[in-house]
Amino acid sequence: MIGEWTPLIAGLEFSILPQQLANGILLGSIYALIALGYTMVYGVLRLINFAHGEVFMLGAYTALLVSWKLGFTQENVAQHPDINGSILTLVLLLFCSMAVCGIVGVVIELLAYRPMRNQPRIAALITAIGVSLFLQYSGQLFLPNSPPPSINQKVNPIQGATNIPLRKASAETLNNVSTTTAAYEAAKAAFDAQLPNEESRFQLSPTGQALKETMDEANRARTDAEATANSERVEIILPNGQIVMFFSAIALMVGLHFLVNHTKIGRGMRAASHDFDTASLMGINVNRIVTFTFFIGSALAGAGAMMNATFLGTPLTTFYGVVPGVKAFVAAVLGGIGNIRGALLGGLLMGLAEALVAWAGYANMRDAIAFLILIFVLLFKPGGLLGSAAVEKV
Amino acid sequence: MTWKQVLLPLSASVIAGAIIAGCTPSTPAEDSTTGGTSTTGTTSTSGSTGESTSARPAPKGGPVAIEGNEIKLGLVVSRGGDLRPWGVDCENGANLAMSELEGGKIGDYSVKLMIQDSNSNPAEGKSAAGKLVNDGASVLIGEVASGITATMAEVSMDTGVPIVAVGATRTDLSQKVNNFFRVCYTDAFQGPVMANFAYFDLGLRKVALVTDKSQPYSTGLSDSFRQIFTKLGGEIVDEQFYQSKDTQFGAIVTNLKSSNPDGLFLSGYFNEVGPLARQLRDAGIKAPLMGGDGWDSAELISSGGDAIVGGYFCNHYNAEEDRPVVKSFLDAFKAKYSAPPATTMGALGYDATKLVLDALKRAIDTAKAENKPLDTLMITNAIENTENFNGVSGVITLKGQNGDPLKTALVVEVQKTGFKFAKSFKPEDIKGVD
Amino acid sequence: MKFWGTRLGSIVLAVAGCYLLQTIFQGNPGMNRLVVLACLWVTLSVSLNLINGITGQFSIGHAGFWMTGAYISGVIMKFQPQLKSMPAMQLLLLMMLIAFIGTGIMGLLVGLPSLRLKGDYLAIVTLGFGEILRIVVNASEPIGGSYGLFVEPKVNSIFIAAMLAVITIAACRNLLQTAHGLEFLSVREDEVASQAMGVNNTTIKVVAFVIGAAFAGAAGAVFAHLEGFISPTSFPMAFSFIVLTMVVLGGTGSITGSVVAAIVLFAIPEYLRGMSVNGEPLRFTLAGFVAFAIAGIGALALAKYTQDRVHDSKGKLIRYIGAVVGAIVVTGVFAAIFRNIPALGGKEIGVDQIRYVIFSLVLIAVMLLRPQGVFGHHEFGWHWFKSKKSQETVA
Repeated sequence: MIGEWTPLIAGLEFSILPQQLANGILLGSIYALIALGYTMVYGVLRLINFAHGEVFMLGAYTALLVSWKLGFTQENVAQHPDINGSILTLVLLLFCSMAVCGIVGVVIELLAYRPMRNQPRIAALITAIGVSLFLQYSGQLFLPNSPPPSINQKVNPIQGATNIPLRKASAETLNNVSTTTAAYEAAKAAFDAQLPNEESRFQLSPTGQALKETMDEANRARTDAEATANSERVEIILPNGQIVMFFSAIALMVGLHFLVNHTKIGRGMRAASHDFDTASLMGINVNRIVTFTFFIGSALAGAGAMMNATFLGTPLTTFYGVVPGVKAFVAAVLGGIGNIRGALLGGLLMGLAEALVAWAGYANMRDAIAFLILIFVLLFKPGGLLGSAAVEKV
Repeated sequence: MTWKQVLLPLSASVIAGAIIAGCTPSTPAEDSTTGGTSTTGTTSTSGSTGESTSARPAPKGGPVAIEGNEIKLGLVVSRGGDLRPWGVDCENGANLAMSELEGGKIGDYSVKLMIQDSNSNPAEGKSAAGKLVNDGASVLIGEVASGITATMAEVSMDTGVPIVAVGATRTDLSQKVNNFFRVCYTDAFQGPVMANFAYFDLGLRKVALVTDKSQPYSTGLSDSFRQIFTKLGGEIVDEQFYQSKDTQFGAIVTNLKSSNPDGLFLSGYFNEVGPLARQLRDAGIKAPLMGGDGWDSAELISSGGDAIVGGYFCNHYNAEEDRPVVKSFLDAFKAKYSAPPATTMGALGYDATKLVLDALKRAIDTAKAENKPLDTLMITNAIENTENFNGVSGVITLKGQNGDPLKTALVVEVQKTGFKFAKSFKPEDIKGVD
Repeated sequence: MKFWGTRLGSIVLAVAGCYLLQTIFQGNPGMNRLVVLACLWVTLSVSLNLINGITGQFSIGHAGFWMTGAYISGVIMKFQPQLKSMPAMQLLLLMMLIAFIGTGIMGLLVGLPSLRLKGDYLAIVTLGFGEILRIVVNASEPIGGSYGLFVEPKVNSIFIAAMLAVITIAACRNLLQTAHGLEFLSVREDEVASQAMGVNNTTIKVVAFVIGAAFAGAAGAVFAHLEGFISPTSFPMAFSFIVLTMVVLGGTGSITGSVVAAIVLFAIPEYLRGMSVNGEPLRFTLAGFVAFAIAGIGALALAKYTQDRVHDSKGKLIRYIGAVVGAIVVTGVFAAIFRNIPALGGKEIGVDQIRYVIFSLVLIAVMLLRPQGVFGHHEFGWHWFKSKKSQETVA
């Protein structure tokens, strides 16, 4: 039995497992942040807000447009190379995104969902799909999307990565690396000295060609040495931007936890989530609670969007929210939709599952396997991991 | 009522339907399979090397005669959906080409460009192409992606209206029917160019591929790169996958790092390549990055930041080239849309339209010389006989090429301020292709 | 005897109708394809209605079933090319049958989790199924992967597509007329109660999934042979939502509603594509669009308010007319104002660029004004005429 499994296990690179776990948690924290919006709305209204992904998209666009207003357009950055963002810029972008998303969420609720409050849930769902399509396609007319713009790297002062070494490479290999690197530097210097005599880097005279081949040979020796060092080393490298994303997400979630559990309006939210009608009978202004819930949920999506767009530099289109939206929806369901801690757990599990599937060498099937895991979990826990399986009708 | 009562009328109607269908004189498309329908990623390299393979099958429909003195061109682009950036760019390029037509006329004919949206979906692309042909289009132009072009080519096959694809790089498309042409090069050309460049010019031996699994463009490019690179003696140490619209690539980046490549070939579009490059550099991978013409966009530099600088990719043209047609195109484009082309499709859409207009001129001359009414077959032949057409994306020769143009590919280097020419490849320069 | 008379009459009428459809649109290549596609959408929406509207199982994976059918046909044709020697019509029927059975089995596999899951959890599983399928096909090189698959021969038959739609409708309708049909409805209305009444919920749910999936699969086979080319991008997740929309918009549980909604929702984008004035595509400025959107939202709000709060019929009528007139006036006024804003006035857009904007607005408007769907639970049938006639005689 074990013999059969050995090839499978042998294919796994255990030295990168810590790194992959870290990757999964970083990814999952963003899923969790978006999933919170789904789960909060669902908790109060029992409505899947399919337009949530589009709110996310609008948050990213807000960050982009504000960064342009601050002068971080491509042309301006090219003209003024010394222009740089600061933490203050980031905070400003974050607040703008959160505010705009929050307001958009409230407006959507007011115009599209509130009239549907007493109607069959599926009708509200279709309205949500309609709103989502509307934002995607009308956004194409108003928002810059061709070519898909991205937030300039200069906005973000937090660059680079943090290296957490777990096991160092042996002195011998490191020595080898430094000798080969020195040899490569020497060969490169010789080639660079020859370069002015050549037509171009890629059209070489025989002398240049010979020098280039020596340099390439030295380079290969160097990369081989580095490869050995690399395989001996065990380390976790975390991009600083993503660390900030992670801690911001955690901070926002802690804040949300406090809000829900220790404030008056939070109590109202819990009451409405528990029993909407009774809550309104008990003198809770449920409309205010719903508005507030939409504001907070959408603002969290806005925060996630701003961080994703700024720290990762993804080009934006109006379909930017679709994939994170679906992933977060899955995360919310996995954790038990309607349950705030469940969203966190579901998000982290989704992130970890994706990272581990890629680690196992099935990156081409990543989402399929993530979905399979989800289905499997749901078969055993039909209400999600932390949810309760209540009988409900569509 | 019982189950029986449900099933009886049902089965009766099925049988009745079957009987009638059996004797309905419908229009089943005749069987016209060709040898060239291999759909896997195998790369037949017939197009790139210029060897003439067996003649392509003729379309089933047509030829359609052109009535009146208006020639309509039908352009299908993705105005909505995921491909919109490329679609809009292509539309802009085509409109620019039309505006350069003096008086909007060729000879006695006025020429009109009709545009329909495919919404980035193959089925809608076919509907759009069908509508255009129905409205009297004599030439189809588009699409920017292979999947949609494949369904549009079916319309061409059924109606005999020739199609000039803008950005469909899938190799076997052109083998289905002889009125299919394209202005871009195929996966079977671009991949080998980059493989040669990686092996000989960058001196790389261990390359890892990163493929966008949801894009046929990326899959095909990775396959052809792998094929030639291994044939040259290099080694593909790893292949990692992502899906379009992914934003965090931590997991595959870590995998790539552990396979220690000395070069990386990122075959996807610039949307994902920029962020991916940043994350690769953050993880400490210093190996040079390479890619295909999907990288071509000014946004690449913005989204890739410092990480993408120093990367190489294969492109059709370069802003710094001294060919006059490139310069005039870029000036005219900037004047008309107050921005440079957003992607490579601006130039390709422009070229496709220009090429069609050029062919129309010849077709009209032929019709006049032979004193016959102009029809789509004449236009097809005129496009087929295109020789040394001086396009922005290179000099295009379609004659005897089975629809896949012979072109020169440029490898350009990404710099902070733009793309710098590195090396040009003619089809005969490429080693490892038989 | 009367029973069989009606039945046979209906069948003959249906077959004749399909044949008529074929003869009318045969010569028109543009319409031909659209009619076939419309029939396929009708099949899809009616078959999803069986799962979603009639049995109440929240499924959003119909694009997956459609894709399964198309790929079953495509893969068989790829690996059994000798089948191409068959006459095209028979081949298509055979492929539809195989796809019908094959996708039915797939429906069984997806339907089984429905025994344990409810509502949104079931929805996510069906959604996941569609996505899994798409990703697996994307990664499967032997069947084309993301490259797609050419399907030969191409068969374009309105008759077959229309017959498929008719058979789907007939199957669902006749099912509802039986005692078994009531079981499906009872599962939707209250699972506990239906179980208490001796209904085997398990079987009913699975049967609904199997039948619904099977018809979608047959539609997939027709689609594959119509297109001649299929790829995972032909079956995006959005299609599942669009089919769901058709079901709900028409009225959950109403087959008539599904049919009408499928045709209308399919036709809207296609109609807008061809909308033109004097041969030129209809164009307007962004300013006009924004003005129209604002006026539309206002009118919708007024209409909704009227519907909910105003109860005398005269006041209702006045307000509805006021909403329409007001919308037109407001559009004009705002358009005139916005024209002076450079960002809005200068940009011209064609009507085909906002096809899906209008589509989504129609969705929202219909759902706001008629949440139970256009037809609610009602069905169109002979009784409509009967009841009208009887009313007339009374009057």
